Amino acid sequence: MTSSFSKPRLLTIGATVALLVAACGGGGASTAPTVAPTAAATEAPSAAASAPASAAAGGPAAWVPDPTLLTAAKAEGGLTTIALPPTWCDYQDLLSGFTSATGIQINNLNPDGSSQSELDAITANKANKGPAAPDVVDVGLAYGPKGVAAGLFAPYKVAGWNDIPDSAKDANGYWYGDYYGVMSFEVNTSVITTLPQDWSDLLNEPANSVALAGDPTGSNQAVSAVWAAGIGTGGSLDNAQPGLDFFKQLNDKKIFVPVIAKSATVASGETPIVLAWTYNALADRDQLNGNPPVTVVVPKSGKLGGMYVQAISAYAPHPNSAKLWMEWLYSDQGQNVWLKGYCNPIRYDAMVKAGTVDPTLAAKLPDSSGAALPTLDQITKANTVITTGWPTTVGVTVH
Amino acid sequence: MTQTAQIGDARTAPQPGRRRFSGTVLGVAPFLLFAVLFLVLPTAYLFVGSLQTSTGQLTLDNFAHLTQPYTIAAYEASLEISLVTAILGGLFGFLLAYATIAGGLPKPIRGAIMTFSGVASNFAGGPLALAFIFTIGRAGFLTVFLRAIGLDPYGAGFTIYSKIGLEIVYLYFQLPLMVLIIAPAIDGLKKEWREASENLGASNVQYWRRVALPILLPSLLGSVILLFGNAFGAQATAFFLTGGFIPLVTILIGSQLSGDALGDKNLGYALAIGMVAIMGVTLVAYSYLTRLAERWQR
Repeated sequence: MTSSFSKPRLLTIGATVALLVAACGGGGASTAPTVAPTAAATEAPSAAASAPASAAAGGPAAWVPDPTLLTAAKAEGGLTTIALPPTWCDYQDLLSGFTSATGIQINNLNPDGSSQSELDAITANKANKGPAAPDVVDVGLAYGPKGVAAGLFAPYKVAGWNDIPDSAKDANGYWYGDYYGVMSFEVNTSVITTLPQDWSDLLNEPANSVALAGDPTGSNQAVSAVWAAGIGTGGSLDNAQPGLDFFKQLNDKKIFVPVIAKSATVASGETPIVLAWTYNALADRDQLNGNPPVTVVVPKSGKLGGMYVQAISAYAPHPNSAKLWMEWLYSDQGQNVWLKGYCNPIRYDAMVKAGTVDPTLAAKLPDSSGAALPTLDQITKANTVITTGWPTTVGVTVH
Repeated sequence: MTQTAQIGDARTAPQPGRRRFSGTVLGVAPFLLFAVLFLVLPTAYLFVGSLQTSTGQLTLDNFAHLTQPYTIAAYEASLEISLVTAILGGLFGFLLAYATIAGGLPKPIRGAIMTFSGVASNFAGGPLALAFIFTIGRAGFLTVFLRAIGLDPYGAGFTIYSKIGLEIVYLYFQLPLMVLIIAPAIDGLKKEWREASENLGASNVQYWRRVALPILLPSLLGSVILLFGNAFGAQATAFFLTGGFIPLVTILIGSQLSGDALGDKNLGYALAIGMVAIMGVTLVAYSYLTRLAERWQR
């Protein structure tokens, strides 16, 4: 009898180990930090449907590419971008706008990838000049220096370089801030009728109502939400611990819903209040289009800005197209497209002075005055405090 | 493990011969290749990576990190949830399989249960989490229905976004998986054995204690270990249901490898090696228990 069972048993052992290793290896694949549930599939139609990037009246002059750079770029035959979700900061219009201005086709890899996956893609394709090697990346601020340390970036300074604040760029041009958003409350007003105005108001919301758009042990957006909550309730850019304490309070009062919120859970009322960057929250609002009604509130205190940075790959197969892409992004016209996607473009202040901001777009941006942009050291410190403190302070204890 | 045993068998086969041995090697070669490519090499890669810093220097820091409170909490959470769902899934899965197969259910019902088990045991990840959220989440249709008839589960303190909630969701695939993998063993229980023991005057309890259980025990243990590994290695379901709220090791590994909040890959590798070690200990304990069980049969 025993012998007839021994075979399946051995298979079982093999299967278990294989399963475990497979799970370990593939585990991270699904951690893309997306609030905006985007649809790569709908990219083309929606890009075509929306107005050409700079059509809005009153604003900037249309971008004219530098002829020498354009000729060099065209000879390269394409541009490879990575991890640009179509609805994130209105990248769909930036992508189509670049192609219509230059005639250069763009291959956008892995639209929902994370910052780390962008750096990984450069590393993995160092020797590969094919379509899998990204030319340019758009990564979280902390990944700028990380990429420089790993030797992954090539320096370049765009025409508007001097408009970028010194604190938001690498002095040698290896990376440069592009846009930022402010942490905000995305509220389904068919469920929550009295809008919360500040972090402390969240403590009076009904049970099971407040959620994060990511996992605070791994998502920059979720970590920033915890951090901002702390800044609004006694903490500071240098002290993130109050954020953990605030979420512990929310959790003890059963207000916190630990699900990873998406626009679908906002719509169903499962997570009527979600903490997300303004641009993601506003893109969700526009996407849901009144069904249900969504309002985005920037809290009165604890206004935390989160910045992303651009960089060109040191191993870019199309280096001139990459430079041309940067010139497009940092042109007045390009910056206004980001503004259209509810992202605060980095040259905003200089453009206000020069009168090149599209006033109708600027009027739609929520008031983020007084938002604090943390330094790299502060981000590193807060990330460590929150990612390592979350499981023990707020997370379920198993005993 | 499997391949060495088979090679050994071939060597001591009654008619030894070189040709026969090389034929055996040829037969297991695809499996060996598969095991090296998808099991040995990745594990070796993890191990080497876990001993390095992000810039490639040799270090033990990653393993030292495993003793931090938050990583210990993660291992505890993973172990507890895997154990609970393996044991409950194993127990109720066995009962369901036994009732289905030995209970004399009509063929179509048995077929339906086995087919459902095949489907449900493969339903996991984001879709499963969302299915539960939209069924018994705070605004799920079952919750709304129950509330309408005056039974509010959330008012009574239940929430799907909790340890118990996650265990319920895991059981959705654990239980059917148990049905599938234990079914052949139950099929192997011959009716004659029961009749024989009854003829010899054994009671039902005696039959189970002295006949059925000893025969089934190795399969039962193996199945529960498989369920344990299945839950231990799961990530997406828990991630989509509760984010990092229930800090499973797999979720922490995911955060280190592909998060955008400054993950440390090498720490992720060390966390994974820790899981491999736990699985290794489990398998050693398993083979010891099986040997014990086999001795008991004699």
